[in-house]
Amino acid sequence: MPGPLRIVIVGGGTAGWMTAAALVSVFGPAHRQVRLIESSEIGIVGVGEATLPHIRFFNRRIGIDERELMAKTQATFKLGIEFVDWARRGDSYIHPFGAYGSRLAGVPFHHYWLRQREAGDPTPIEEYSLPIMASRANKFALPAEDPSSVLSTFGYAFQFDASLYARYLRGFSEARGVQRTDGRIVDVKLRAADGWVESVKLDSGEVVTGDLFIDCSGFRGLLIEQALKTGYDEWTKWLPCDRAMAVPCENSGPLTPYTRATAREAGWQWRIPLQHRTGNGYVYSSHFISDDEAASRLLERLDGQKLADPRPLRFTAGRRRKTWNRNVVAIGLSGGFLEPLESTSIYLIQIAITTLIDYLAPASGPSTDAGRFDPRIVDAFNRWIEMEYDRVRDFLILHYHATERDDAPIWNYCRTMPIPDSLAHKMELFRTRGHVVTYKDGLFLEPSWLAVYLGQRVMPRGHDARADLPHGTDIGTHLTRVRDSIQDALARMPMHEDFLQMYCPATLP
Amino acid sequence: MSQLRNIAVAGHGVEAWIVAAGLRRAFRARPLDVRVVATPAQPARIGRWTLPSQRGMHSLLGVNESTLLAQTGATFKLATEHFGWQGEGSRWLHAHGDIGAEMAGTPFYKFLLNELLAGRRQAPESFSLAGTAATLGKFARPMGEGRALTAGFTYGFHLDEAGYSRFLRAHALGLGATETSAPLRDVRVGENGCITGLVLADGAEITADYYVDCSGAAASLMSRVTGDDREDWSAWLPCDRMWSATAPALDDPPALTRTFAGSAGWRWRAPLAAGSLVGHVFASRFEDEAVARAELQAFEPRAGEPVLTSFSAGRRRRFWAGNCVAVGESSVALEPLAGAELHLAQLGLARFLELFPLDRASTIEADEYNRVMAEHADALRDFTLAHYRVATVPGAFWDAVRSKDPPARLAERLDLYGAGGRINLHDHETFEETDWAWLLLGGGRTPDSLELQIRLQIEKFSAQEIGALRDHVKQLAASMPRHLDFVRRVQK
Repeated sequence: MPGPLRIVIVGGGTAGWMTAAALVSVFGPAHRQVRLIESSEIGIVGVGEATLPHIRFFNRRIGIDERELMAKTQATFKLGIEFVDWARRGDSYIHPFGAYGSRLAGVPFHHYWLRQREAGDPTPIEEYSLPIMASRANKFALPAEDPSSVLSTFGYAFQFDASLYARYLRGFSEARGVQRTDGRIVDVKLRAADGWVESVKLDSGEVVTGDLFIDCSGFRGLLIEQALKTGYDEWTKWLPCDRAMAVPCENSGPLTPYTRATAREAGWQWRIPLQHRTGNGYVYSSHFISDDEAASRLLERLDGQKLADPRPLRFTAGRRRKTWNRNVVAIGLSGGFLEPLESTSIYLIQIAITTLIDYLAPASGPSTDAGRFDPRIVDAFNRWIEMEYDRVRDFLILHYHATERDDAPIWNYCRTMPIPDSLAHKMELFRTRGHVVTYKDGLFLEPSWLAVYLGQRVMPRGHDARADLPHGTDIGTHLTRVRDSIQDALARMPMHEDFLQMYCPATLP
Repeated sequence: MSQLRNIAVAGHGVEAWIVAAGLRRAFRARPLDVRVVATPAQPARIGRWTLPSQRGMHSLLGVNESTLLAQTGATFKLATEHFGWQGEGSRWLHAHGDIGAEMAGTPFYKFLLNELLAGRRQAPESFSLAGTAATLGKFARPMGEGRALTAGFTYGFHLDEAGYSRFLRAHALGLGATETSAPLRDVRVGENGCITGLVLADGAEITADYYVDCSGAAASLMSRVTGDDREDWSAWLPCDRMWSATAPALDDPPALTRTFAGSAGWRWRAPLAAGSLVGHVFASRFEDEAVARAELQAFEPRAGEPVLTSFSAGRRRRFWAGNCVAVGESSVALEPLAGAELHLAQLGLARFLELFPLDRASTIEADEYNRVMAEHADALRDFTLAHYRVATVPGAFWDAVRSKDPPARLAERLDLYGAGGRINLHDHETFEETDWAWLLLGGGRTPDSLELQIRLQIEKFSAQEIGALRDHVKQLAASMPRHLDFVRRVQK
């Protein structure tokens, strides 16, 4: 057997520690040696305090106890995202983690809703979604396993403190054998023969060699870009926001089991409730507002007392041309950036990590060349990550583009900008007949697209012809039954705050 | 409400009746007039084998399977058995079912790959209920649900073409489809590329809101709308002819289709309840029609008068143009190796129902249909072609097939598998990971390595559990009835 794969992770933070935790958990010491280098002088960006339900698979796969994690990161539950003021000022819709109703005779539920709506039934589609109704009522319960129960129709994610999350994962990783080194990288040495990374040099003078380097150094991409010049595909023309201001504030009001994204004059503002505080931020385009003005607008619009000064961030929407180049894999902001509108940052980290873990296939025979990566596998890995990014990208653009707002330059730009053909095609199909284009892999299933189309006022002109069932089939009764079952379940659900107190009250670090 | 009130289906056989019945049944709540216009019968098929998806088709159409078997003499199909594709005496099986059962969250075929890397070759079918039953000549329908071995397989059919077509015709007419007074003579196409009417042999002219072309390779309607706008696959799949014939029944035939690699193509045999079907698929570039005919005769001396079918592997660039939709073989020509021809017709119908136009002017439906059907068709082409890529038969025909680089997606798939034993699928694929595992394992492709995380899971497999699985498969298969006994019982 070859010796263990020597893996060097450059950078801590969410991406670095998630990678470290996953690699040490999935592979035993015989197969890997994981070393993480981070500098305590460099702060972490702490992207994404809100997650998607997929993180639960990640936790389960690497053996993280959900309650412990939640208690140690001041976490709350998340059933979806509320979008305020997006299509028009005064609008509010929730993108839920769960389905609307259920398919009937092989036809998606929403076509029956559309049909009833054409016939004059004004019931909003929200009333057919348990996670939306629970969000509106600030309630939460764990989903049920029994597929016949309406309580099985949703999933959930977490909202947590990203710094505490990184700290938690650091403890988890170190306990399982990750070696952490505090240091700054001052030089990267490439092998003369093939340009692969041979070693990194720290400010202490130490030289760290490895077989596989994971670049979690953030936007600058210390290895993937500065050393390997991999290149970056920019998507700014579709996703113009390039800066953010982040600030925590005190909690006020009930603890919401959802994240809020409110459209603003030059971007949008997030609100993420945690047990001990609320995270806030203003994501904006520097073309349309100055940093100072963004900061003051953000501070004006906090629910509670600010707990720190606003922290500025800069970024460029896009994706690294190759996530895996030679023996460097870029995970986190070094691999690409898509604004946190749909809480995809941690998901994209997760998918890069699990795809890497799934694809790694070092030679199984006697070989000392553990550090050779088959280009056929590297290419397949890159194609997969590309597909994930592209699908998220289209979904994000939809939020900006499908708006009726004309009260600010950014909305005029986004409303009229050319969009990718793939998205234009999807939108036209929905507008014409409520048809949602679905795919096998990648993020965002039918209910997500549906929620955002309808929420952004992309209203279908028709519905699936198969939903016109024979006369005498009482669709109305079926729909009423779905609503009633949701109301019944809702009545029995505890308040989110009460459930948290019972399930995972925060422990002080 | 859709504005469409009437649809004309042009065709003469199984595909036309499937589409007519499917349209009537899906829209039985509305006054949708479905008329079938006969097109000239081309050199007919003798029969065919289908994928398991035909079961779903039957339930969509409301066809009772027992009645079907009683009236058409069809039999079941658990697998395809390929002889000689890896040289004299070689054999591999592609069963319509799981290989083993998932252990430690890992597909069982990965274990077989791991064994292969360690130099131990084990036949996948000894861990597959469908595979073992097919090999033993047994059959039973799947039972139970979840992870039970008896729930881990499905089946297709072997069908006599004329009988199946008659049966479907009666079914479609029973659902309210009608036939026109006379067959098609001419197609009228307007300046905007839309069909404006069909002229019948008796001089009558009919019009419809939409026209479905099920006329097979002739594409009687679509060829008038988009001409010969096709993608040619013949460099990858050079077979372009098939001789086929009926033959006497084999004694106690198993529920499987058999193929035999030949010098310029392959021969096949499929069982019916009271007879069998044989054929020879070949490339006319490499083998003369008369020689091929003699080869079929040598293969089955008792075969009846054979019929010759011609085709050219490829697909239309547009499956749906204007008010015309080409379904099945009028849009895609693929040799029958994977048995997917009716599956394509079924996909065409299902997608047409899903995107059934709400008004005549809308074009977005056609765009989506063309996008999705092209992906489906290309994926089926790749699976068919993969049989040839794993073949090691010597000879000019086989060398020619192997020397042409495969389409990019297939190359990527074979590369990834070749490097680490991993099988990735795309959207809109018919064949699943397990099907590819049957093919790649059966075809003798050994990857260079296997995913590390999979190897770690396999270490947790216990030899005892694996032995028990093999024994259980054997016992269950042995307890099933003989295939034809099962067929006869169902027919009653």
